[in-house]
Order: sequence, then structure tokens, then C-alpha cells
Amino acid sequence: MLAGATLKSAYYSQLGRTMKIRLNKTMVAVATSALLLVSVPVAGITAAANATAKPTYTIGYQGPLSGGNAQLGLNMEYGVQLAIQQANASGKYKFKLRFQTLDDQGDPSVAPGVAQGAVANTNLVAIVGPSFSGATAASMPYYGPANIAMVSASATRTSLTDSTANPNNNTFFRVVADDSVQGPADAKYLVTTKKIKKLYVVDDGSSYGQGVASQVSTSAIALGATVTTASVPGTTQCQAGTGSTSEYSAAATTVVGSHATGLFYGGYYCDLGLFLGALKTAGYHGLIMSDDGALSNSLISGTTPRSAANNVLISCACATSTNAAFNVAYDNLAGFPATNATYAAEAYDAANVIIKAMSQLTTISRGGIVAKLKSSGFSFKGITKTIKFQHNGNISGSAIYVSKVVNGVIKQLGLE
Amino acid sequence: MGGFIHYFSSHFQTLGQEFWPLLVGGLANGFLYGMVAVGYTLVYGVLRLINFAHSEVFMAGGFASFFVMQHLVGTSSPNGISSVLYILIGILVGGLTGSLIAMAIERVAYRPLRKRNSPKLAYLISAIGASYFLFNFAGKEFGRYSVSMAQPYTNHPLFTIFGAGVQMYDIIIFIAGALMLFGLDRLVTLTKLGRSIRAVAQDAETASLMGVNIDRTIALTFMIGGALGGAAGFLYGMNVGVVYTMGFTPALKAFTAAVLGGIGNLRGAVLGGLILGTMESFSVAFLAPSYIDVTAFGILVLVLLVRPTGIMGERLGRSA
Amino acid sequence: MKSLLTNKWLKSFGITATLMVIICFMTGPSGSNTDPVAGFSGSLFNSAPFLGLFITRRWVVFLLFALIAFVVQQGWQAYGRQVKVRYAKVMATPRELKSKRPVRLGTYGALLLLALLLPHLVTDPFWQVAMVQQIAVYVLLALGLNVVVGFAGLLDLGFVAFYAIGAYATAWVVGSLPLPPLFGHALNNFWAIPIAILIAMAAGIILGTPTLRLRGDYLAIVTLGFGEIITLFANNLNGITGGPQGSRIIPHFHLSLGPLKYVWGNGPIPYYYLILGFLILFLVGFSFLEHSRVGRTWTAIREDEVAAESLGINPLKYKVMAFAIGAASAGFSGVMTASQQNFVFPTTFSLFFSINILVLVIFGGLGSIRGVVFGAIVVQTITMYLLHSPPSGYQPADLYMYIGAMLVGMMIFRPAGLLPATRRKREIVQLREEAQ
Repeated sequence: MLAGATLKSAYYSQLGRTMKIRLNKTMVAVATSALLLVSVPVAGITAAANATAKPTYTIGYQGPLSGGNAQLGLNMEYGVQLAIQQANASGKYKFKLRFQTLDDQGDPSVAPGVAQGAVANTNLVAIVGPSFSGATAASMPYYGPANIAMVSASATRTSLTDSTANPNNNTFFRVVADDSVQGPADAKYLVTTKKIKKLYVVDDGSSYGQGVASQVSTSAIALGATVTTASVPGTTQCQAGTGSTSEYSAAATTVVGSHATGLFYGGYYCDLGLFLGALKTAGYHGLIMSDDGALSNSLISGTTPRSAANNVLISCACATSTNAAFNVAYDNLAGFPATNATYAAEAYDAANVIIKAMSQLTTISRGGIVAKLKSSGFSFKGITKTIKFQHNGNISGSAIYVSKVVNGVIKQLGLE
Repeated sequence: MGGFIHYFSSHFQTLGQEFWPLLVGGLANGFLYGMVAVGYTLVYGVLRLINFAHSEVFMAGGFASFFVMQHLVGTSSPNGISSVLYILIGILVGGLTGSLIAMAIERVAYRPLRKRNSPKLAYLISAIGASYFLFNFAGKEFGRYSVSMAQPYTNHPLFTIFGAGVQMYDIIIFIAGALMLFGLDRLVTLTKLGRSIRAVAQDAETASLMGVNIDRTIALTFMIGGALGGAAGFLYGMNVGVVYTMGFTPALKAFTAAVLGGIGNLRGAVLGGLILGTMESFSVAFLAPSYIDVTAFGILVLVLLVRPTGIMGERLGRSA
Repeated sequence: MKSLLTNKWLKSFGITATLMVIICFMTGPSGSNTDPVAGFSGSLFNSAPFLGLFITRRWVVFLLFALIAFVVQQGWQAYGRQVKVRYAKVMATPRELKSKRPVRLGTYGALLLLALLLPHLVTDPFWQVAMVQQIAVYVLLALGLNVVVGFAGLLDLGFVAFYAIGAYATAWVVGSLPLPPLFGHALNNFWAIPIAILIAMAAGIILGTPTLRLRGDYLAIVTLGFGEIITLFANNLNGITGGPQGSRIIPHFHLSLGPLKYVWGNGPIPYYYLILGFLILFLVGFSFLEHSRVGRTWTAIREDEVAAESLGINPLKYKVMAFAIGAASAGFSGVMTASQQNFVFPTTFSLFFSINILVLVIFGGLGSIRGVVFGAIVVQTITMYLLHSPPSGYQPADLYMYIGAMLVGMMIFRPAGLLPATRRKREIVQLREEAQ
């Protein structure tokens, strides 16, 4: 087609030369333009009409579905999918739901594009997620003005509900306690319950790890402990990092040299696993505690030797699901057990919160859902807890659970 | 200003307390860097280019020995003579895989370009492509999560020097590294193969006129470098586990080490590795862990600016 | 046995078959570290359709593919020359016409019109966003890197550093960093453009002056290191850059000229036109540069530095110039990204970013402006397409495996890129003939 167009314009151009009309050159240019443009197929995508009697609405899930943290995203994706399938199958709602996955790779630089795409889908009324705090902050400028409720199951950074730091957070909700609850609770657990006087706080240089770690160190200092802090960046051995693993043996040496009796690690399981190995080699015998980023069975399989992961404490605003019906259904859908899937139950609850809000509306709209979730009378009894939102989107009254690695298995001990 | 002084004085204090442990840890890393660095130096000698894909040789050695160790050692925790045996097997498997992968890289990503006399840029890009392909392919086939290796030895402090506990792991690295590097040095200095490698490095055209088979020599150079790189992959993986991206940073450091010591100079590469490993280790205590890589590149840039031929000088083709 | 090994046909088929086996593994299912064989065995023994005709095991499918490829290849070897000659005859007239000025201008005009109309032709929101964030910005970046790698022949693997510098400079100027803004108070984003460009250029000169004296491959590693150091600083200097938490929200571009007020808003379209405008400026500027005295000097240095030096050219000066120009355009792209995305995060500026840009440049054709633009558009569109609607059997995580394989393949079979620069193609052919 292109070649044809050029050929034709060529013909004109030769004609022009024989007639010796200078103006023709411009005409040829215009003609070429026109011919080339015609050859461009007009792209336009129209949504296929849906032929069901009930109106259909889309609920999205935004989180990391590819990249290094994909497992966490998959855990939640199946939770949301299960909630939607069950809602559609129950037949008790006056609408049908469609599920859309929005893969932001957990990366704040990818999230804006994903969010802009989601906002443009007019059928989408609310999303579960985003899963990661950085991605959430980066998505807010798009979901906020569009009035799309973002109900996150795992974004725990405190400042997300602070409207000076994130002006577009008017549609953000979360079904778990934030770091300002988790950090101090962890510090209290370490200093008061475990009687740690000298605490070493390490973070992995990620926005999440640093957030939790700074909360812990501030609270621990307030409780009277001596705190040393260090930032040991995530490594290329793990996904997001840039550092080299050689830093861990040296960092572990400094930890031992500080004579700290307790260590808190803010970050994710992969790098913690490497650090645990180095700590053991360096001869560290104190207590080790980490956050929910470390709550994964991969923590144990990634630690050399695996026994070095034993006795590590892990705190999380999330609870292991004890709801048998959910566990069975989840296992059937996902192909792996819900008890191994961190935040799956929370994501399931988050989706159900949205569905309940929708069912209480006469006309379903993006703004309607946000208003309903914010309304004081609204509450939902989920499988993890009863969910009721404060006006800023935080969940009212929430608990932090602590787990421990016992002989290579993560066991939930209970509330902190 | 007072805070500033306090910062440094307190860091010097830690440095004093931990000098020996940091030195031991740094030297162990340094040996690993050295083992990978000789791969760069050898290839640079014969082809005059950085083998960017050498990182994946390291990774391949790590993975191959990982699977073998998983099979042989499993959950047992061996020590004594069985430990030695397992480690030897690991080094052999890692080295063999490393040399095979290195040969494949030479065959696919370099030789066609050499036959076409491509510009230098093409080699670098082809090597980057090969590296991308290999590590992502490993990620696809073997999963993308870091996983710990079944340890063929039981780690415990063996003895102390000046209060620094010298670990079993450090000793293994010291012995294995020193033996292999010594062997390589002898190989290049004394054997016929070593002579042809040096001949090609000095002047490929003349060497070929003197009856040296260039293709074969280059392939063997890759394989020798690959064997040490693969074995280093095993020794590294044994301590921190394996993952598809594991080659990237250690290899970059190793290259830095090779340049530091003087590219093309085998002993220089080892010395560069040891210096870099130790400097890094101290920088964690002295500066902050987050600046460990800044140290490495800072040293590299400084050395290149002040002495572009490296500490021990370039020695392309002369006996090291 | 010996004759079997040296048999030309067998060897040729062996190469084709090996390639097919590799492709078979690449497109097959994934394995895991607990089951390393699963990926390989699945790749060979899962069932797959052969050209929609029948369903069989994968290895059979790929064996048949290898046979087809082999036949095609042999046919090409036998008749390729004739086809080429005939093709050249058919194309003779259009090729001659292509060099005619009005036709060329007409084509550019059409492309420009198309670019202007594009947001109205592409209505899918995903693609509108992708056009701005993933295509237009990357074209800019690729154009800048092309000056360094393509024109001057310097392998810069730390290009991301200048992009990061541009983005952080923007955040600084508009007052979104913990560091107080440059002039004490926040400025409009438009001020960020010259400031970011100046800072990036300065960084390019400071880094370039000492390191460009080095050998080409040392330069690659030093720039790689520099890229990493910048990211590390961005991530660790909490009091200046905001550390891992990134910057505060960055406002959009906005204009207020008396009664006329305009904000570039959330939608991608206004940014599209903004970037397109600058893109055209860059395109025109770089084309002039290529054919200017400076451009010719770069070519001379690239082809033979010693000869150029003996002609009285100071290579360092021109290399630093290329480096600074490349840095400036990366800095500019940083301004665009930071403003459009409203945030700056250190994780954006990963080590692999520079290599991704390099891929775009190489794919289109090192040193060829139209090639680079074309390459960046094609590669980014394919990448985005794969992200948006992945075909079955494709896993997003495998993208870089394909890109790596493509790089090696291109260096062997088409080292000058898809739309090569005439000059560079000639260099490669010359070298090849020298070898033969």
C-alpha cells in the first residue's frame, strides 16, 4: 500500500517536472501526504455490547502480577477472583460482576500508566489494591479525581491516609492496620514483652522497608531502648535491589560488634534470607524480628542454611485464615493453600466490602461506592475481622499478629 | 561540625573492634572476585574485549552445582571427609558447566562476529544480548526466587585470629581459590596451551602463522576462564543461595577487580580482587552498607584516571 | 563419520535445528528450582497445533518448522541472488524517487500529520497512555543515546543517570523534594526544562572529561558504574531526594499568560502534543547536527581516532560534546516523565533501563535518526502490546530473554539495524570485506 502510494505520487512529480510548474512540488508533497494517510487504517476500539439482563460492573485488582513480587500479587488476585465468582454464583445481587487484573509490577513507575488505563474504563467502578504502598501513592492522582474507591489489602504506609502528603487520597481505604500501628506494636513487643534493651534496626532501602523500620526505631527509642539504625540496600540477588550480597557479611559483623540483643529488619523476605545466613555466620545469637514483607515460605527456602531462619519473629496486620469454607474454595481456585497465601483473606474481604457497598446502593456509581464506604453506618463482617472505615480510609481498631518460624515452618503465635 | 566529628570517630571505633573480622570476610569475597576476574582478563587478552556474558557463566556454575548438591546432600548436614568430597564435586560440576557455557557463548555470540570482522561495539552488544538471554532463560527454567543451596559442609568458627572467628566457609574459599588460581598461573606460564594463549594475546596474526590454531585457542581460553567462573559460582552459591540474577553484581565487581589489577594480568586480577573485597568490607563499617557499590566504582574510576593500566600494569601476552 | 560431520547440508540443517530447539524451549512452559526438568520436558512433549492443521507433540512441530526453514534457506541460497536482482529492478524507480526532495518532504509531512492525528485514531486509553509514557519519551531517549553511541561511537551504559538527573532536577525546581527549591520558591515546570538540561549537561561534561580519555570498553563499565551510583544516591540521600519514598507530588505543566490559563492535566493527550513538539525540535536539530562539521568529525573519530587526531582534531573535545548532548536530551526526557507521572522514585532508574534504551537504538539502526525513531516505536509498541494482551504461551517475565536473543541475532545477521545509516552500513561492509 505504501509503495503504491509513493509510486503514484512519483508519477505526479514527473508530470510536474515536464510541465515546469514550480508550485507542483508543494502539490506533490500534499498529495503524497494525503495518499499515505489514506493507507493508514483507522484504529478504533469499541466495547462489545453485553447481552445480559443484569447490568455488569467491573471490579479491578491492581498489584504485582509479574516481576519479583508476583507471588504476593497472585495471592490477592485469587482472593478477589473468588469473592467475585461467589457473588456472581449466589445470584442474590441485582448486578453481575466482571473481574479485571491491573498489573503494576508493584512498581511506582509502572502504576500511573496502569491507573490511567483503569480510570478510562468507564465500566470499572472500584478496585481492590493497589497492593504496594509506593504504587498506591503513584496511582492516587488518577483514582482520586475519578472517584474510584481503592480498597487495599496490603498497602500499609502511614502517609497514604495523610492528605497533605497525598492530596488525592480521598478514595483510598485499607482493610489492614497501617505501619503507624504495626511499627509501634512491634517496638512494644520487642522492648516490653521481649525485654530488648539494645536494638539494631535495619532496613532494605525500599520505600516499604524504610517506612516500617523508621516507625520501629522511633517507638523503640520512646520506650527507652538504645537503637542503632542502618540501611542495607536490597541486592541484585533479589528482585528490586541493586546492592551486592557481600554487604551482608560485613553488615552482620557490625551488628555482632554492636552487642545488640535484638534486631528488627524492615524489608522483604528475599534479602532478609540472605542477611539471616550472614548473621548466623557472624555468630549473632540475639532475637530477630521482621515485618509482613518477610511473611513468606520463600524466606525459609531462600535462607542458607535453612536452619538460620528458625526462631525469626514476623509481625503482620494480616491473619492466617481459619475460615474452613474459604480455605477450601481458595485452594480449589488457586491451586495452592490459603494458609500459605499472605493477604489472600484480606483481599477476599476487601472485594466483599466493595460488593456489599454496591448491594446497598440503588444506583451504582463510582462516587456512590466511595460515599457508602465512608458512611458511618457501614460495616462488614469479613473472614479476618469486622471492617469499618474511619473517615480517612484507615480501618477502625485493628490488631497486629505475630508469627514465628519453628523448624522451618511459619506458625502464627497470636496477637502481639 | 561536632556531630560530624562524632560520626567519624564512632565509625573509627567500630573499625578498630571489627578490623579482623571485616578483613577475613573481605578476603574471602576477594578470592571469589579474583576467580571471576581471571576469566575477564584471559578473554580480554586474546580478544581485546570485555566478555559481558561472563556473569552468566558464574550463574550457570551456581545453578548446576545447586541441583547436584540438592540431589547428593539433600537435608543431611555432612562434615569431615564427605564434606571435602562434596565440595570437590561441586567445584567440578560448577567448573565444567561454566566452561561449557563459556564455550557456547564464544561459539554463538563471538565467533560469527569475529568471522565477519565486526566493529567492537557489535561484540559488546552481542555479549550483553547473550547475558540477557541466558539469565532470563535460567529464570524461566529454574524459577525466579532465590533459593538456598544444600550446604555440603557445616559452618562453624574454626579458630580465631586477633578475636576474629575464621569460619569454615572462609577456609574453604581460601584453599579452593588459592589452589585454582595457582594452577591457572602454572597452566598459562608452563604449558603449551598457555604459550599459545599468550601468543594469540600478543599478536594473533603472527601466532597463526607460527601454527597456533586461533579458533581453538580462543575457545579454550573461554573454557578455562569459564571453569574458574563456574567454580566461583558454586562457592558463592554455597553461601548465599542461587537465583537467576546472581551473576550480575559479582561479575561487575570482578571486572572492576580485573581492571584494578591491570587487565590481561592474571596475578593483577587476583590482587585486584583481594583489594576490592577488603575495601568493600571496610566501607560497610566505615561509610554505610548502602554505599558499598559506590566504593567499588569510586576505586575503579580513580585507578583508571591515575593509572589507566592498573596496579600491576597491563600484560597482554607476556607471561604473568 | 568424518564425512557426515563435514557434510555441508547436514551442518546447515544442524544449525537450523539447534535454533529451533532453542526457540522451542524459549516458548515452552516454565520450570522451577524444585523441578528444573519440567520446563524442558514440557517444551518438548506438550501438544501443540502445527500451523492450525493438526495437533501433535511440540518437538514434532518444531522439527517440521526446522525442515521448512531449512528448505527455505536452501532455496534462498540457490535462487536468492536472482530474487535480489529482480527486486532491485522493481524497486529501482521508487528508490530513485525516494531521493527526490518533494517526495521526501511529502512523506515527512504525511508522517507528521499522522503523528498529529494519532490521539484521535487511537482511542483505547491504555494505548493513549502508552503512546506518551512508553513510546514518545523513549523515542526522545533513544534519539539522545543515538548521538552518543551512533554518531560518536561511545558505548554509554549509564544513560539512565542523566534521565534520573533530569527527573530529580524537575522535582527540585518545582519544590517537590526535601531539598529546598532552587530559587527558594517553587517554579513552573517549564523552568525545569532549561535547568534540568543544564544540570544534565554539566554532569555529562564532568563525568565525560576524565572518562572519555579511556578506552571504549572501559568507558562502558565506568558509565555503568556511574548509572548505579546515581541511583544509589537517589535512594540513600533521604534529606535531599526523599530516599526510597520518592519525591512529593510534582505538579503538571501549566501556562498562565494573562487571561490564558492551561494545565496539562491527567490525560495523556496534552502531554502527547507537548512531547511531540519538542520531539520535532530534537529531530530537526539532530539531523542538522549529523550533517554539520561536528557530525562529520564524530564520524571521523568513530572510524579512525588516530587518523582524526593526526588531522588536528581534538577527539576528547568532540566526544565530550556528544556525551553532553546525549545527556541533555536524557535530562529533558526526565523532565517530561517526572511531570507526567507526578512522582519521581529511585526504582524507576534501574540499571537495566540504560540497556533497554540501547536496544531501541540498535534495533532501528545505530547512527540513523529515522532508524532510531522507527526502532523505538516498533520495539516499544511490541513491548506494550505484549504487556497489554499477551498471546498464549508468552509470559511477561520472559520479555528480556527474547530481547537478549534478538540482540545477538541482530549483531550476527543485521548489525547495522533495521533502517541502517548508509555510512555505518558501509563501515560494516568494509570491515567484512577486509576479513575475507
